Amino acid sequence: MSQMKWKKLGKIFDPTQYKLPNNCSAFAQSPQALVFDEFVRIYFSTRAIDASGKYLSHIAFVDMEKNLQNVICVSSNTVIPLGRLGCFDEHGIFPMSVVRYGETVLGYTCGWNRRVSVSVDTAIGLAISKDNGVTFQRIGDGPVLAASLHEPCLVGDGFVRVIAGVFHMWYIFGTGWKKFSLDTTPDRTYKIGHAVSCDGINWTKEGSQIIADRLGTDESQALPTVIEINGVYHMFFCYRQSFDFRKNKDRSYRIGHASSVDLVNWTRDDEHPHLEGTPGDWDADMLCYPHAFECDGKVYLLYNGNEFGRYGFGLATLET
Amino acid sequence: MFRWEKLGKIFTPQEVDGRIWLKEFAQAPATLIFDDFVRVYFSCRPFADNAKQYVSYSAYVDLDRANLFNVLSVSKDPILKLGGLGEFDEFGTYPVSVIRHCSEVRAYYAGWTRCESVPFNVAIGVAISHDSGRTFSKLGSGPVLSYSPDEPFVLSGPKIRRFDNLWYLWYISGRKWITVNGRSEPIYKIRMASSSDGILWAKLNKDIIESRIEEDEAQASPDVFYSNGKYHMFFCYRYSRHYRSKKNGYRIGYACSTNLTDWVRDDTKVGIDLSDQGWDCEMLSYPHVFELDGKTYLAYLGNEVGRYGFGLAVLDGKLE
Repeated sequence: MSQMKWKKLGKIFDPTQYKLPNNCSAFAQSPQALVFDEFVRIYFSTRAIDASGKYLSHIAFVDMEKNLQNVICVSSNTVIPLGRLGCFDEHGIFPMSVVRYGETVLGYTCGWNRRVSVSVDTAIGLAISKDNGVTFQRIGDGPVLAASLHEPCLVGDGFVRVIAGVFHMWYIFGTGWKKFSLDTTPDRTYKIGHAVSCDGINWTKEGSQIIADRLGTDESQALPTVIEINGVYHMFFCYRQSFDFRKNKDRSYRIGHASSVDLVNWTRDDEHPHLEGTPGDWDADMLCYPHAFECDGKVYLLYNGNEFGRYGFGLATLET
Repeated sequence: MFRWEKLGKIFTPQEVDGRIWLKEFAQAPATLIFDDFVRVYFSCRPFADNAKQYVSYSAYVDLDRANLFNVLSVSKDPILKLGGLGEFDEFGTYPVSVIRHCSEVRAYYAGWTRCESVPFNVAIGVAISHDSGRTFSKLGSGPVLSYSPDEPFVLSGPKIRRFDNLWYLWYISGRKWITVNGRSEPIYKIRMASSSDGILWAKLNKDIIESRIEEDEAQASPDVFYSNGKYHMFFCYRYSRHYRSKKNGYRIGYACSTNLTDWVRDDTKVGIDLSDQGWDCEMLSYPHVFELDGKTYLAYLGNEVGRYGFGLAVLDGKLE
């Protein structure tokens, strides 16, 4: 196989330049593409601040021309409301992974709810759009994938594809919370898992971490995205140290990569292809939340840079 | 109508010395019968902390089989540890339901966590004992039964049974949180699931007991007992609001079924109601039916949902 290389196309969307619904003013995290004939709709999570001063993540989208440089418009209304009192997605949806299914678009949400001894828990919900992804209606107040015996917390970041009639979900699960030092709040560690389903609603977890650690057991892995390229499945994700990762660029998110020919065994190889930050630029300190998709014969990678995407997302394209 | 003869309160947690974790409450009695004694599991609490918050533990009391009013001993320690930081059972293991299986005893329990917008959330865990139910180890650090699209939160009150080589779990699932005088109060309904191994569960996904006193009636403690060709369920129910009172507090209800999934509610048959005075003159809750030496007993809680212990009634006649 010829060597795959990313060609960076720079930042393509800055949320602070637009008026977004739900009083969201910054952050365009975890971009996820839905390709139409004439344009590409890119969902992202943006943030409002509630009465207590804490963030609430909301889903919004931007429609872009297929050159992926020109913005057509941003969503003017709520794409999916947050969950009801006490529900898993009451305090945020971040991210939402979209996949076409028949005439509908399925949105797999990562819902956030606040806890007391630790900051949050998450679970994965399903919402369905019958208007080409302008709005989504959840199938129920609860999640389709949540914590289980050996995946005790923080089930989230579901990425779904239907392959040979089977729904596959790559997602993350928390292995636990830990106070890494006396003067910090608890931090969590999460790993990438895999589940299958025949209907997209009832899932069977594979039940183990599928991507090897590079940084040891305190590596957190997030937001898997999978794309088939020339008969091989490639997964991109992000990974970091589990603590002191927000401001210390040496411990913050980087883009990882693994490949598989059978969707069972994955070989991690972060170097081929490798996506590198550009010194002094928007992604110099951090690279995170990748999303791979194909458009008009090209493979693209959307991703966030510094500060977890506070100032938007950028793009790279694969060269072989 | 069944004719229950009340025998009085048989266990008072305030009378137990030397256990800082057992100061108040003896809730949700569940029996395991031995040759010489009856082990009754219950859930209890230390005094509330400075923020008036409780944690709950589960323990047992051994009663003399020949005279159930003769307390032989109380467990030295809780049967389960609270969960670790951020785990679903970090702040409570209540209630618990036990069953013998081969040489083990299995416990299904509700684990409690604390939330920001509502006071708590609950999911169901499982643990195994290899010493006749004295100590249990959890099968995992996460729940064995968790949230799903139409069971969004508060999965609690498990009652584990085996019929015809299948495992059955009756439990409750939260329907919604309502706000009464600034306090969030959960509404929950009785549900069931079945399993071939007690680990992987298939939910029935429906409310199996119709609501009688109001649409938002809350139902709990679905205790199923097979007798005389029928499945009998004793449970408890309350009004949605102001239920910490005699007027709107818990009462015991009854339903029966011939196939385990279709239940006919008939509270007029239950045959047990408030006493005019004494420990059970305001509330009746958490019923548990067991047979012992040719007699059918009902263990239950009285006022203040078991703050001062549980009592017993004996059936005059048969459950049919």
